[in-house]
This record gives sequence, C-alpha cells and structure tokens, in this order.
Amino acid sequence: MIKHHPTQDLLQGFVTGELPASLSAAIAMHNDMCPSCAKKTAQMMDAQASQSFEELDMHPDSVDEQSAMAVTSSFDFDDMIGAIVADEAVASIPIRQPKTVTMGDKDYVLPQAIEIVELGSLSHLGKLTRARLQLGEGKIHTSLLHIQPGGEVPEHTHKGYELTLLLDGEFDDDEGHYVAGDFIMLDGTRTHQPRSEHGCLCFTVVNEPLKFTQGLNRLLNPIGPFIY
Amino acid sequence: MQVFNQALQSDTECFKPMTMPAQIDNTQLAQLLSNIATKRDKQAFTTLFGFFAPKIVNISRRKFSNPDQANEVLQETMSNVWRKAHFFDVNKGQASTWVYTIMRNVTFDMLRKVQTNKEDNLSDDIWPMVDESQAKTEVYDDHLAKNHILASLDTLPENQKMVVKGFYFQDMSQEQLAEHLGLPLGTVKSRLRLAIEKLKVQLGEHHD
Ligand SMILES: [Zn+2]
Repeated sequence: MIKHHPTQDLLQGFVTGELPASLSAAIAMHNDMCPSCAKKTAQMMDAQASQSFEELDMHPDSVDEQSAMAVTSSFDFDDMIGAIVADEAVASIPIRQPKTVTMGDKDYVLPQAIEIVELGSLSHLGKLTRARLQLGEGKIHTSLLHIQPGGEVPEHTHKGYELTLLLDGEFDDDEGHYVAGDFIMLDGTRTHQPRSEHGCLCFTVVNEPLKFTQGLNRLLNPIGPFIY
Repeated sequence: MQVFNQALQSDTECFKPMTMPAQIDNTQLAQLLSNIATKRDKQAFTTLFGFFAPKIVNISRRKFSNPDQANEVLQETMSNVWRKAHFFDVNKGQASTWVYTIMRNVTFDMLRKVQTNKEDNLSDDIWPMVDESQAKTEVYDDHLAKNHILASLDTLPENQKMVVKGFYFQDMSQEQLAEHLGLPLGTVKSRLRLAIEKLKVQLGEHHD
C-alpha cells in the first residue's frame, strides 16, 4: 500500500501550475496510482477555480476588472471573439504515443505524464542504470533510475531536495519498505541508502548536487551527478 | 447544412452576450459549454467570453509582466474552450474548474516556454483534458486506424462530423444527439449512415 504522499503544499502548487514540470509530472504520476490524492486534488481544483474566478467580486478594490480591461483595450475583444469562432474545426481526441524504455533488461511503458519527454542515453554503474529526462530545467535534474535486483544507491545526502517516485517494483531503506506509487520527498537534512531486493524503476528529481556521506565519499562524490 | 450556415451567419451580426451573474453559476456555464459543443453556438461563446475574459486577463497579468502575454493567455484559453467544448463532461466536474484547467495549462506551457525555451506543451500530458475512459470510447483501438479515422473525419461536412463525434466519441445515443442538435431523429440517423458510408470508403482506400 502507498504510504508516502505529496504534501498539501505540493498538491496546491500542482493545482495552480506553479511547480516545475518535473515535480508536476511526479505528482500526476503519483495521482494516477493514488486515488486518495487524486480525489483531494480534484477538490482542490474546484476550490482554486472558484476562488480565482470569484476573487474579483470579493475584492473589488485590490485589482479591479475595469483596469484589467483598460490595459487590454488597445485591441478589440470583439475581434478576438470573431477570430476564435471563425475557426470551425473542433479539437480531435489527442492520439497518445506510449513510449517503452528498456532498463536493466526489463521493458517499461512510461506513464503519460512523461511519455513525450526526450530521454538521454542510458548510463550504467554496477546494478544502476540512469536515463536523464531532458526537461531543460537547469539545476533541477530529473532522471529515470533503475536498480537491478540486489542493487543499491550509495548512502548520500543533498543540499536541496531529492524526490523519489517509485514507478515499479519495491525498495527498502533504513526507514522502511516502499512500493510503487510511494512519493518520497527528502530535504537536505536526511540521508538514505535505497536498496532493492527484486529491482525497481524510480523517477527522481534533485535540485542540488548530491553529497555522498560514506568513508568512500572522495571516490563516490564524482558519481553523484552520474546517478541523479 | 444550409440552415446551419445561415444560423451561424446571423449570429455573427450580433455578438450580444446574454447577461451573466457576476457569481459563478456552474449550471449556466455548463449549458453554455454544451451549446458550444453541440451547436457551435457563437452567442453562447460570446457570453462565456464576456464572463471569463476580465477574470483571465486579471489573473494572467499577475503572472506575465507583458500585457501582450496576458492577452495571449486569454486568446489561447478561450480558443481552447471553443475547440474543446465537446470534451467537457458535466458529470465529471464543474464548468468553472474546466475553464480554470485550460487557463492553468495554457499558462504553464507559456511560462515553461519563457523559462526553459521548450515548446513541448507538456501540460497536455501532465493534466490530460481527455481521460482514458473517453479515449477508450473510440471505435478502434489500433492507433493507426484511429489516425486514419480522425483524418478522414475532417473531410466530412460539418453536420455529419458532429453526428459522428457525438455518437462515437461522446457516447451519445441517436436520440440524445437529435435532442442536443435540435434535429429530427430521422435526420440524425441518415447523417450518421451517410457519414459511415463515406468513412468506410475512405478508410478502405487507406488500407489498399
Ligand atoms: Zn497519495
């Protein structure tokens, strides 16, 4: 059973579209596997929509409708309406193109949220395989990380956050056992060392380079950026 | 078809919106969306536009310092409302939430373009406007077949296209369609039959 969920704040950022694409995609994928967060998100959407669209009526002084319209009066709304309705075509149902990746000799169909994102080439390190998602978000690095049965990620900590969304399979760390759908957000104060007995596929997002904490850290540090 | 065209033309003469209450009335909004979906009702669209435009501009002005970009959000959002009204399902959510979703997605894609230079319109996949169950109501599962059908659909006259879409993609019965389009049942049946015959010919050619 899924035990780890996005916080209320993250869900709110997801609803308003203010999170980076990497985290938004992670929450979308979590919600696909987690009916309770999906339901919560739907309720938050309704609340947000009502609040956003009713705000003008509630706070007539803060930003008033007239001034917003005045700003745009340089062009004619009737023209805009006319241009829009002149298009007779209705949108057709989008055709999805599910994408399969092969990692650690296993085929995975990627969730819709990331199926069109370009994947970098696969890198291998022992039982780990990583593919970077080319989301173009600068310091925020997003990857698919596959751990073969019996593999583990060296113990590490990080300055920023590290999100692990377990897409398939299971893994353990010192704090417990994780299953597909678990959304594990760690901040810089915690270390962990995921190991997977039977193998797993994770979606990971980090916003700062990792620091490896074990005695071998001088050796391991260069592989931090490799893995995440 | 001719009656339909005339109706559209007379509408363009007077884009007079009905009066909308300032508060959100989701039942009324849903009715307007339904009129847009089934009748391409320009007056309904004008009313919706009048209700949402100031709100959308206001919200967008806080996200984009450039007023042109706020206007772009408005234009893009409202043209999606016009083109995708048939995706709105009153049983699955509120009309205001549906419009908010479109605005949020348009804004997300535009900000992403500004910030990362990517024009991948990821919002379509992160927050799909058409859910699996709707997609599954399509006639064929095969993606190629779907592509052919959608391409062929576009070659049909508008009145036949609407019947086919309502029947196959929105899962409406012929009776429901007749009511929604304000047409006699016999007309709906004959349009559907005509459309299917045309599609069969076209799809047959594709497979040759
Ligand atoms: Zn959850």
